[in-house]
Amino acid sequence: MNAALELFIQQLINGLTLGMVYALIALGYTMVYGVIQLINFAHGEVFMVGAYLALTAIWILAALAGPLPFWVSFAALLVFSMAGSALLGATIEKVAYKPLRNSPRLTALITSIGVSFFLQNAVMLIYRSKEQSVPEIIPHVQVSLGRISFSLIQGVIFLTSIGLMIFLTWFVKNTKLGKAMRALAEDPEAACLMGISVDRVIRVTFILGSALASVAGVLFALYYGSVNFHDGYLAGLKAFTAAVFGGIGSIPGAMLGGVLLGVFEGLGAGYISSQWKDVFAFLLLVAVLISKPSGLLGENIPEKV
Amino acid sequence: MRTFKPRSLVIFFVLLLGAWTNGFAKDETVYIGLAAPLTGDQAYIGIGLLQGAQMAVEDANIKGPVFGLSGIKLLALDDQHNPTQAVLAANRLISDPRVAGIVGHFNSSCTKAASAIYHEARIAQITPASTNPEISRQGFDTFFRMCATDDVQGPTAAHFVYDRLKIRKIAVIDDKTTYGKGLADEFEKKFKALGGTVVSHDGITQGEKDFAPLLTKIRSLEPELLYYGGVYPELSLLIKQSRKLGLHAPWMGGDGIFDVTLIKLATPELSEGTFSTMLGVDPRSFPRARDFVARYEARFGEIGSFSAYAYDTVNLLIEAIRRAGTSDREAVLREVRNTRDFQGVLGTVNFDEKGDAVNQSVGIYKVENGKFVFLEEAKPEVR
Repeated sequence: MNAALELFIQQLINGLTLGMVYALIALGYTMVYGVIQLINFAHGEVFMVGAYLALTAIWILAALAGPLPFWVSFAALLVFSMAGSALLGATIEKVAYKPLRNSPRLTALITSIGVSFFLQNAVMLIYRSKEQSVPEIIPHVQVSLGRISFSLIQGVIFLTSIGLMIFLTWFVKNTKLGKAMRALAEDPEAACLMGISVDRVIRVTFILGSALASVAGVLFALYYGSVNFHDGYLAGLKAFTAAVFGGIGSIPGAMLGGVLLGVFEGLGAGYISSQWKDVFAFLLLVAVLISKPSGLLGENIPEKV
Repeated sequence: MRTFKPRSLVIFFVLLLGAWTNGFAKDETVYIGLAAPLTGDQAYIGIGLLQGAQMAVEDANIKGPVFGLSGIKLLALDDQHNPTQAVLAANRLISDPRVAGIVGHFNSSCTKAASAIYHEARIAQITPASTNPEISRQGFDTFFRMCATDDVQGPTAAHFVYDRLKIRKIAVIDDKTTYGKGLADEFEKKFKALGGTVVSHDGITQGEKDFAPLLTKIRSLEPELLYYGGVYPELSLLIKQSRKLGLHAPWMGGDGIFDVTLIKLATPELSEGTFSTMLGVDPRSFPRARDFVARYEARFGEIGSFSAYAYDTVNLLIEAIRRAGTSDREAVLREVRNTRDFQGVLGTVNFDEKGDAVNQSVGIYKVENGKFVFLEEAKPEVR
């Protein structure tokens, strides 16, 4: 294989890995927007808390259990972090957004920014302001083909993300709750008249979105090996871009948007200039919004969620 | 008619007393303004500075009043390592008449943006850690700095790489900040002048986590060393990601990466062999600093790379205030300029006509067995 092709494939793998994480976070933005038309700016922070919960779980495991096979500890991290973040998501919804359900949309939006600041600073106070190092749970194993390398952790990211996306698609399509979510997205009043408990569906949406973001947080923490209370900001912004890019309110859109954004960033940074990495991401967004304002997979009268 | 309540009369007198003490008793406390990133992703540095400064102020107050009946207090503001916030903080500090002098900022970009404001207000500004050489070239007579500058640090590193390591082909990365880019540019300039080849010079964004695309590109250029202008959180990721991609050339950086947390984050195995330049001497190796480090660590835990600088800076300013015998800004400024052989924990400080520290020595360190090990002290060439 020639060097240029190898380089391209490596850059594609780099981009896809990042894109999977963006996609998982973007799903939360899009689902919440779908049911209550709120851009939940605190969502990036839920992702960051998920990463810190993973770190905490690693500490607890190391203190209590000692060495375990990596997939056992990985599963334990996921469960711990998802449970914690789901609880956090439900609490945020109950405390911050539910009282504002009938206020102007801007009020809830500003509240979400406030929640985001609160979470950032709370984490800073609890875990201190320094970057924390995350111990390597998943052993560093990689397969190399020429100069292309693909590591075990990248494989874990791919499998976990794709698995969750399939699960979510099935959940929304086939379960009673998923159907209720779609109904609520389509017409809240009619859904209410049909006997759907609006509060419950909204709560479930937040729980699901937060759990997905926390999985992204766990993967992020394990892949990069360090967490910072500020990490939610940029990742949240990028995932939000991905959600809008794919068509906000659309679940396949968020997945596609996230993956494409990661690939686009990776190739842009690798081939043109890493200085302009963020510029590529946002240029892409501007280009899509100009040519197709509802996003890639968004429809004009969108079937949200 | 309402009944008379004696309690309301008491409250009235308490309020009156409060107003009286506020209005008539003169607050003789002298304030030292401190501005640094206290929140945001560089808060760990700002907090390290603040704690060093706090110790200096406490020491001064134990030693006795500065003049009259007054004590010294610290007024610390957050600049979020953002030049816009730095200007706001600077304006707030100068608008408080009790502030006699400024210690700050940390980031060169902030120090530079705020320096014009302090200059206009005729208040002494001493930065403990900003290394960009442009700041003192603005011609502000209110600006002072305690540490070596990047036009010494960068070329010193370049000489070391070219002459000592005999490396001829390098790649440069910086974080696009005034500090990081300034340092990387100075390094690159000297390295090229010496006859070396720079295969690429790229910028990254602070707070970014994924550098795999950039490193994949650099890997194909096969540099023998990677120089990074910036701070350690990004470098720790660069080190880890480069090793995973099979890029094994050693890394080198400046004072911004000189922190044991770098080794912790990048793991001792992967950071082994990383080079760093650091301003002045290592406080732990310096007898006078050892006592300070011990007291600091007993109180706050692990010392920050710049805490000792902040301690010295505040002490220098307090000495100037003592000599001035007043909190008048112009008088304090004059005394800061008149500083001769200030004995800090990190050594003797004198300022040149631009306000830069005369002592520009730079140490070169290498990570060995999970520690920064001192290799040599490079005396700078004459600028």
